[in-house]
Parts: sequence; structure tokens; C-alpha cells
Amino acid sequence: MGRKLYVFVRSAVLFAVLLVFAVACTRGGKDIEVDLPSGEKAVLKYNETLRIMISSEPPSLDWHRATDTTSNLITVNLMEGLAEYDLSDKDLKLIPALAEKWEASDNARKWKITVRQDVVWSDGVPFTVQHVVDGWKRLLSKETASEYAYFLFGIKNAKAFNEGKKSWDEVGVKISGPNELTVELEKSMSYFPYLLTHHSTYPIRLDVVEKGGDRWTEPGNIVTLGPFTLKVWQHDRLIVLERNEKYYGQKPQIKHIAAYMIQEQATAINLFDSGKLDSVHDLPSVELRRLRQRKEFRETSRLSIYYYGFNVAKPPLDNPLVRKAIAMAIDRQQIVQMLAGGQLPLTGWIPAGMFGYEANRGVTFDPEKARELLKQAGYGPGTKLPKLEIRFNTNEDHQRIAENIQAQLKQNLGIEVELKNEEWKVYLNSLKSKTQQIFRLGWQADYPDPDNFMSVMLSYSENNHTNWKNAKYDELVNKAAGTLDRDERLRLYSEAQKILVEDDVPVVPLYSTVKHVLINPRVENYPLNVMEVFSYKGVRLKD
Amino acid sequence: MTLGKILGWGCVLISLAGIALDLADLDLPRGYGWLLLGWGVAAASYAVVRGHMVAYVTKRLLEAAFVVFMIATLTFVLLRFLPGGPFDAEKALPPEIKANIEAKYGLDKPLGEQYLDYLMGLARGDLGESYKYIGRPVADIIAETLPVSFQLGVYSLLLAFLVGIPIGVLAASRHNSVVDNALMIFAISGVALPSFIVGPLLVMVFSFGIPFSALTGLLPPALWESPVYYIMPVITLGLRPAAIIARLTRSSMLEVIQADFVRTARAKGVAWPVILYKHVLKNSLIPVLTISGPLVAGILSGSFIVEIVFGIPGMGKHLVQSVTNRDYPLILGMTLVFSTMLVIANLIVDLLYTVVDPRIKLG
Amino acid sequence: MAATETTIDNSAGAPTSRNEKGKSLWSDAWKRLKKNRAAYFSFYFIVFVCLIAILAPWIAPYSYETQNIDRALLPPNSINWLGTDSLGRDMLSRIIYGARMSMAVGIFTAVFSLVVGGIYGAVSGWVGGWVDAVLMRTIDILNAIPSLVLLILVGVIFNSLDLFENPELKALTGIFLALSVGGWVSLARLVRGQVLQVREMLFVEGARALGARPTRIITRHIFPNILGPIIVMLTYQIPSNILFESFLSFIGLGLQPPFSSWGVLANDGWRAKSYPHLIVFPGMALFFTMLAFNLLGDGLRDALDPKLKNR
Repeated sequence: MGRKLYVFVRSAVLFAVLLVFAVACTRGGKDIEVDLPSGEKAVLKYNETLRIMISSEPPSLDWHRATDTTSNLITVNLMEGLAEYDLSDKDLKLIPALAEKWEASDNARKWKITVRQDVVWSDGVPFTVQHVVDGWKRLLSKETASEYAYFLFGIKNAKAFNEGKKSWDEVGVKISGPNELTVELEKSMSYFPYLLTHHSTYPIRLDVVEKGGDRWTEPGNIVTLGPFTLKVWQHDRLIVLERNEKYYGQKPQIKHIAAYMIQEQATAINLFDSGKLDSVHDLPSVELRRLRQRKEFRETSRLSIYYYGFNVAKPPLDNPLVRKAIAMAIDRQQIVQMLAGGQLPLTGWIPAGMFGYEANRGVTFDPEKARELLKQAGYGPGTKLPKLEIRFNTNEDHQRIAENIQAQLKQNLGIEVELKNEEWKVYLNSLKSKTQQIFRLGWQADYPDPDNFMSVMLSYSENNHTNWKNAKYDELVNKAAGTLDRDERLRLYSEAQKILVEDDVPVVPLYSTVKHVLINPRVENYPLNVMEVFSYKGVRLKD
Repeated sequence: MTLGKILGWGCVLISLAGIALDLADLDLPRGYGWLLLGWGVAAASYAVVRGHMVAYVTKRLLEAAFVVFMIATLTFVLLRFLPGGPFDAEKALPPEIKANIEAKYGLDKPLGEQYLDYLMGLARGDLGESYKYIGRPVADIIAETLPVSFQLGVYSLLLAFLVGIPIGVLAASRHNSVVDNALMIFAISGVALPSFIVGPLLVMVFSFGIPFSALTGLLPPALWESPVYYIMPVITLGLRPAAIIARLTRSSMLEVIQADFVRTARAKGVAWPVILYKHVLKNSLIPVLTISGPLVAGILSGSFIVEIVFGIPGMGKHLVQSVTNRDYPLILGMTLVFSTMLVIANLIVDLLYTVVDPRIKLG
Repeated sequence: MAATETTIDNSAGAPTSRNEKGKSLWSDAWKRLKKNRAAYFSFYFIVFVCLIAILAPWIAPYSYETQNIDRALLPPNSINWLGTDSLGRDMLSRIIYGARMSMAVGIFTAVFSLVVGGIYGAVSGWVGGWVDAVLMRTIDILNAIPSLVLLILVGVIFNSLDLFENPELKALTGIFLALSVGGWVSLARLVRGQVLQVREMLFVEGARALGARPTRIITRHIFPNILGPIIVMLTYQIPSNILFESFLSFIGLGLQPPFSSWGVLANDGWRAKSYPHLIVFPGMALFFTMLAFNLLGDGLRDALDPKLKNR
């Protein structure tokens, strides 16, 4: 036993010595050393590497199958679409990227797209229009089972192809020239070019996908054409992107992007504070007041709304007067103040910063009139409104808002409201079963066009959880989608919004959300925009 | 030297060399893990054969296989009681697209058939593909994250034993002294502190130097890049087991000290330290060994918090997130790996009894 | 596998006249406990915390859920002695109400585990044979499922069923059940082991020979004899339940605000680096209570195990 104890002591000493040694070795030096897939080591120089955090392992770098923002953050730097947003423009004007130009005909039902000829993939193969068609076919085919396939359902017969009812030849996508594509749509779509910015419509190299199989998105296999290439992907840990020297546009100033996967924001802030990260996204709300005062703090509004919905099939919420009274009894200013995150109160359905936004649309806070409306609906002091239920998914912020609304409704209308929270997936499931009375949800823009928001509330939309159906609204929104004339569209959307948030009121918009970030002062031109396109090709690092 | 000794010490040496290489931030040679595993299995098999425990171990292994199979079934059934499916998202999917996805993953088949498919896959060693991490085989996810969690767990356990046992011995040998009391207060505090308080506390002190500014930047606050990054997470995770072991060692040593053979040895004039370290400690290790099984379980589930707090790329977070994502194959894969490790840890502990105390016969 | 059940040896002597002997056994134990100052003090500390928990509505200076945005995140001051949280809720009140929820989770889960585990273990140990084998295999299986997965699955499933109207009960059921699923297993093992030991003793054999019904034997003869180890085990289980509840809150499956438990508070707190009072006070409450339970557990173990009394 004495010998065993000796072993114990010896290894304890060894352990301690090695720890001290390790501490001594790794202190200092800001460059990052990473293991390459080949087994070699590479050094990312501090002054040419942007170090960012992503909240998790990207679920997929296959841009036709990914659906989440984390994957998008990486792919948007690896790839490029036919069109892109001009990030230097406040309104995010659409500019051609892989496309040279596009033009509409037949009242925006037919689109002719001409692609650039000077683009090469990272393996040197020239980019052609066929790659675009391949990408779209892959996105739409049943076997890919892409969640974002519906992005191109506007194309003639695309939906039927996705269901396996029609062949690809019948789909309205044709190569009409050496570098020209003709797209025929089911109906007029004025916003079609916006879809070309989305990662689900990027071109693809089928030979690469075939060769790589399930692992085609791994470094070494993946072939892209954007400003960066995938150099390292240590799953659950780190992604390193490297400047693509074959990129057709203005080459990025930074050489590398190191994206660390950190789930907990408090941890990310710790890393930021110790100089290991250049930016932190989505700051914890409890720390916001303090962080707001720091010079590294930035915020940007988003095209994203937070709303409460009514299930109009459930009495007494089947009565528009009751719904309107409730909407009128909620002071959004108070909610925004409570959240203290710089959110913008919103009464209309289309958020500020988007075409079609109307500041004065919707019902505003007026407790006096709200009580009046409730009386009209037949609920006076004598007949009290039955107890209502607000349902939301478990989350501190949702809870705070629900509690606040509960208090407001009690104070302003004398209505008793019960709160019920459910785990996220349980909640989504119960929304589908339509047992809720009042519920909370959000909507974030896929493309900066009002259609993206307005079509949520179409009577046949899967995202309309209110049971509310209005033929006139459907007609107006569909008509606006097919109208090219901006003024006419504006008028149509205005009319539709009036039905939605002033007359029928199946939803109560509360505010549009804000993104908070910390950015190291050495970073210039960090991409902050309402669409949250984190394309880092324009970023510059100061020494 | 007998074959047994060669195998046994070889195993210890390979492990120590591996740890030393790892802590010196050198890359382990390719296949090192397999070498260790193979050697360990060889050593264990030899010990089992020599100890005439073949029948016992076979029985235990069969039982273990049955337990793991039952767990697979139970988890599979429980999962289907979870409301909400893997492809429910804030933006609802059109029905035709959902149908495509469900067809792709075989979720449109009857439940019984899905279960059979799953078992067939398991029999082939195929854990399926994750739903959330599209197209990534569950086996890959495990292969990439398990080593990190294993590293974290092994170092924490090592810390627990290397710190816990000496503290327990020291406290017992100075029973009722100031040293004893101080050590036990430390130990009991370790038991009483949750890891999400210990972790951030360490970060506050050793990364940001509050309240001693000399310590600012001494240790990195998160990540898992090189040995210096291991220190705080390992302490955070290992503190509680270390404290438990320290208390257990102390109390069981005090118990053994009162035993007759100790009195006899003292009467015969054997030096006290010899009695203490040679006889008492050895006999006190049995309860410590007994608790090692549950400790491994505790470290496995405790690693989740530590991994989150320190941003460590381990397996713990998948265990929790796969449930929130309803990622059925990943949940099942994680559960199976964890329970297999638990079952094996318990078996090893039981076998170690015979090493520590030859009087114990299994079977 | 005798080695796994080494800790408690009850063969010190079977009580002949149970009542008298039993009484003196307990008062002896109490005397011994009194001598152990740490344990004695811990006992009163726990009583104190329990009183706070029960009397929370009367002693808390403010409500645990009333928000006051204008007074958010204040450090300790004369109005809010322990400061306020991010919504301006009084921390002292939240900690006092937190005691209520934490202690409820800790104690009720332990009691529930005791009832389920006790019956299970008693049946297993008493009946023996194939029943015992089946019951013990089941426990093996439950023991090998990672507790985390079981906790999460059971927690989510039960939270999604609406079993209670009362929001406090509703918030607690999922946690109770999730924790109990893990907790009763070890108690079942303990009780089984004890029953196996005790049932071979002379006085039990005597009672059996006299034709006493098994339930009577178990409740009248066996239960009092195994009460000691069970109480000790419960004293250790309660703090670990409290800890596990905070762990569940960390995952987002524990209690949710506005309800307050020490776990909920500590979880909110550790993310708020700039506001140490959010973590320090709930952390201290958690720490001292855990400490007290552990010290009391040690004291009880020593007090109830006469063999060790001379230590």
C-alpha cells in the first residue's frame, strides 16, 4: 500500500507541476493556433482575424437545408446569391450579385435573369447559369426534403414538383440563353428578386454534393464562391473561414474569421472582456442597463415584431369589439419601458424600417374608449367578462410581458386574466391544436417586403393561429403581391392593415425588436442591419 | 514479473503517459485511445480469468446488455409521449413539405415499425442521423463531443481522488484538531455549493481578478483549448466529488481506527504512520469505492452545467438540447452512451472491490 | 454483493420491549445530538428556515411578484434590505418566498420518495424470490438511465398535462415528479436492505411464528428499527433535492418566475455579473441551508448509530 500511496503522491505532484507549466506556456500571445483537418497547425494572426461568437454548432452548412440564423451567418459569408442587399444603404436596396441584371415582364409574372460570367468557384470551376437551376431543383425536390422549399413555391408548378405530382420539365424555370434564365411564376410577384438573396436560392455544384455525400459540407469537400472559404470546422467548437482569393468581387480586408460556438451569453461576455472575442450578439436582458453604458455597445432595430393573437373561435373573443377593447387597453409604451431594451412600440402589423410601415395605423392606447367598447359588446359592470387565458412559451421576457399585460387589463378593463406557460415545443403543439385563447408569437422577416408579414395572416396560412379568416384581406394582400407600382401597393397594404389591426383585430402588435451587440473598437464597418445579414466581407480591423 | 503485473502496470503507465502528454499540450499519437482501451480490456480480461470471475462477468455483461436494451425501449416510448415534434418551429411548415420531411426520416410509418427500424439500426451499430444537425450521424456527434466530456470527467474524478483522499486521511489522522475542523468545513462547503455558483465565482477571481487585481487574466474565463483552460472547469466539476470523498475517507478511517486489528498492531508497537497508511487507509477505501459508481453518474450529469458555464464543446449540452429540440435519434444516442458508461463504471467498481479487498468474492 | 451495504449495522441487539427501549433509544440519540454543537445549531437553523417558509406571506416585507421598474437592480438599501432584481422586485421577499418553494420541493420530494421507495423496498425485501428479482432489475434499469434525461422527459411530460388548477401546485408538480423518479430508487434500495437484515432477527421471526400479519410486522416491528438510517438518508436527500431543483431551473425546466426559489434566483443571478447582490444573497441562503442539512445529517448519523458514540 505504501507504494500505491507513493504513486498517488507522485502523480499529484506531476499534475501540479504540469498545470503550472501549462499556465506559464499559454499566457500571452493573441494569435490563435488551430488544428487543420490535415493535421497541421495554422496560426491566425490577431490583426487579420475577426473573432466572433455563434450561439451553437450550425445545424447545417448545406444552404438548401439549413433554416436557422446560425447556419445562415456562416453560409452568407461562404456563398452569394443572385442578388444581395446593399449593406451601406439604410433601406437595404437590392443590388445584383451573381446576377448581372433582372427584368420583369407580363406584370411581374415572368422574370428574365442574366448571370455574371466572371465568377469562379473556389476550386476554379467557372460559375454558370446551370448551377442556379441545379440549386433550385435540389431545393424543390422531394428527396431533399428542404424546409425552405416553399420559398420558391411561387414558381409555376414548383409546389406540384415538390409534392411529386409534376416533373421538373413542367416547372417554370428555363435556361433561355448561355447566361440567361427565364422564370415563370404562378402569379404576379413584385418582390421576387428579394427571394434571390436568400440562402435557399443559392446555386450549387451537384458534382461536389455527390462526391462528398453526407459530408460534402466539411472543409476540403465543400466548394463555394463567396468572399470566404471554409477552412476549419471543429464541430461544437470552432469554425474558421479564410479569405477566398478567387472571389470575383472586392476581396475582404480581413484574412480569417474565427467563429466560436458559445451557448451562454454571460460566458461570451466574459470572453469579450478578456479580449478573446471581437463581438457578442444578443446580450442578456438583466445586464442590458449596465452594458448600454459601455463604449462597445451597439444596437440595431430588426424587421421583427412581437405580437399577441386572439383565437377568434373562442367566445368572448369571437366578438371584434372585445378584441378591440383589449387591444386598446394595452399601453405599449409601458411594456417597452419595462423591457428597457430600446424596442419600438408598434400598433400596425408592418414594422418600422420596412416599406409599407404606417406610424398611425392600428388602435392606440385609450382606456376610456376601451371600456366604452366593452360596454357596447355587452360586458358592463353587471355582466363581467369571463376569465381569459394568456398562453406563452416559457421564457423570462415573455413572462414579464404577460404579467404586465395581465396587470394592465385588470387595471384598465377590470378583466381577470390567467397566465399559462409551456415549454417551447409543447407550446407550438398546442398552438396547432387551437385550444389557446390569447397567445404570444413573433415574426421575423425572411425578406424585407411587406408581403412577408401580410401573408402570415392570410386565411390559409399555416402561421395564422387565430382562426381568423377575411376574404377581403386575402384579396387585397394577394393583389398587392402582384402589383409593381409602389404607390398602388402602398394603398392596398394600407387598406389590408386597416382590416387587420383596426377593424377585425385578430392580432395586437406590441413592438418591433432590437438586437444588442458588443463590438470591439478595433473592428470597423461591422455589419449591423435590420435584416441581420452578417456578411463580414466589408469589415476592417484597425491595428 | 507476472503477466498480470505487466498488464496492470502497463495500463496505469499508458494512462499516466496519456495524461502527461495531454497536460503538456502535446498531441496524443493517433489511436492512443484505442491502445488504452485495448490494453485496459486485456488487463481486465486477464484479471477476470485469473480471478475465476468469468461466469460472473459474463452474467453481468449480459445483464448490462439487457438493461441498455430496456433503456432504449423505455426512452423510445417516453419520447413519443413528449408533446411537440422535431419539425415544429415558429414558422410553421406547409403540410406538403412536412410530409416530405417525415417521409425522409420514416416518421410517417407506424410506431411499431419505427421501433423495429431503430432496433435494426442499433444491431448494425447505426444510431441514425440527427434531425437538428441535418444529415450529421449521431455517432459522429458522439465521437466528436464525447472525448471532451471524457477528458473533463476524468480530470475531475482524478482531482476528486487526489485531493479528497489525502484530505480525508489528514483530517482523520488529526481527529478533532483545528486542522480536522478546518478541512471538514472546507469539505462540507464543497458539498453545499452548486456548480453554477462555484464556476462564475472562480471566473470572477481568476480571470477578472476581483478582488485581487494581481490575478486578472491568470486563467481564461472559458473555452477548452489547452490545459490552462481545463483548470477552472475541472475544479468546478471536481469540487463536490472531492468533498464527498474527503468526508467519506475521514469517517471510514475513523471507523477502521477503532477496529481490533489496529489496536493489536499498536500494542505490538507498529509505528503509527505505518498503521495509518498501510492498514487503515487500505481498509477505508472500500466505502470510497462504493460511492465511485454514483460519483461517475453525478459527474456525467453535472458536466452539463460546467460545459455551459465555461463554453466547453462537450456532450452534456446535447443531452439537454436534444430533448428541447425533440431530436429523437440524438436523444436516444446520448441516453444509450450515458447509460452504457454508467453500467460499465458500476461493473468496474464491483470488480475493483476484489482488488482492494481480496476477501470479497463475486459471483 | 454484501459489500455495497456496509454502512449501517443494526445487529447491536434486538429490542425486546419495544416501547420502553424505543423511547430511550430516541432520547439517547437526542442527548447525543445535543452534544454535537454544529448539528444541534443546524437543527435549529433548519427549523428557523422552515418557519420562514411557512410564514412567508406574513413576514416578507413585500410581495414576491410586484414589479417596480423604477426601482430595478438597486443594491441593498434601507427600503429593500437586500436590493431589488431586474424588475424591481424586492430580493429579501423573493428569498423568503424562495425558502418556501425550495423547502417544499426538498421536503415533499423526499417524503414522496420515502413513501414510494419505502413501500417498494419493503415489498421487495419482505416477499423476496422472483418478485424481489423483478423489482430489483427494474431499479437497475432506472438507475442506469442518465438522471438528467429522465428528469427532463418526466418534467416536460408532466408539465404539459394540466393536473392542478392552483398555479403554485401546477408549477411544482413537474418538478416533484421529476425529482421523485430519481429519488425513490436509492430509498427503495436502503429499505430493502434493512428489511432483509431485520426480517432475519429473532424478534421478527418470533412475531411471524405467532402468526402476525406481514403488514403489522412491517409497521410495528421492522419500521421502527429501520427508522434511523431512513431519517439520516432523508436529511441528505433534502439538500440534494434542493440542489437538483436549482439545476432544473438552470435548464429552464424548474420553477419559472414570477415564482421564486433559491435555484431560480441563483440562476438569474450568476448571469448578472455587474450586480453581485443578485447572486450573493440567494447563494448564501442556498449554501447555509445545504450546510445545515449536511451537518444535521452527520450529527444524526452519529447520534443514531450507538457504535460510534464515543468518537
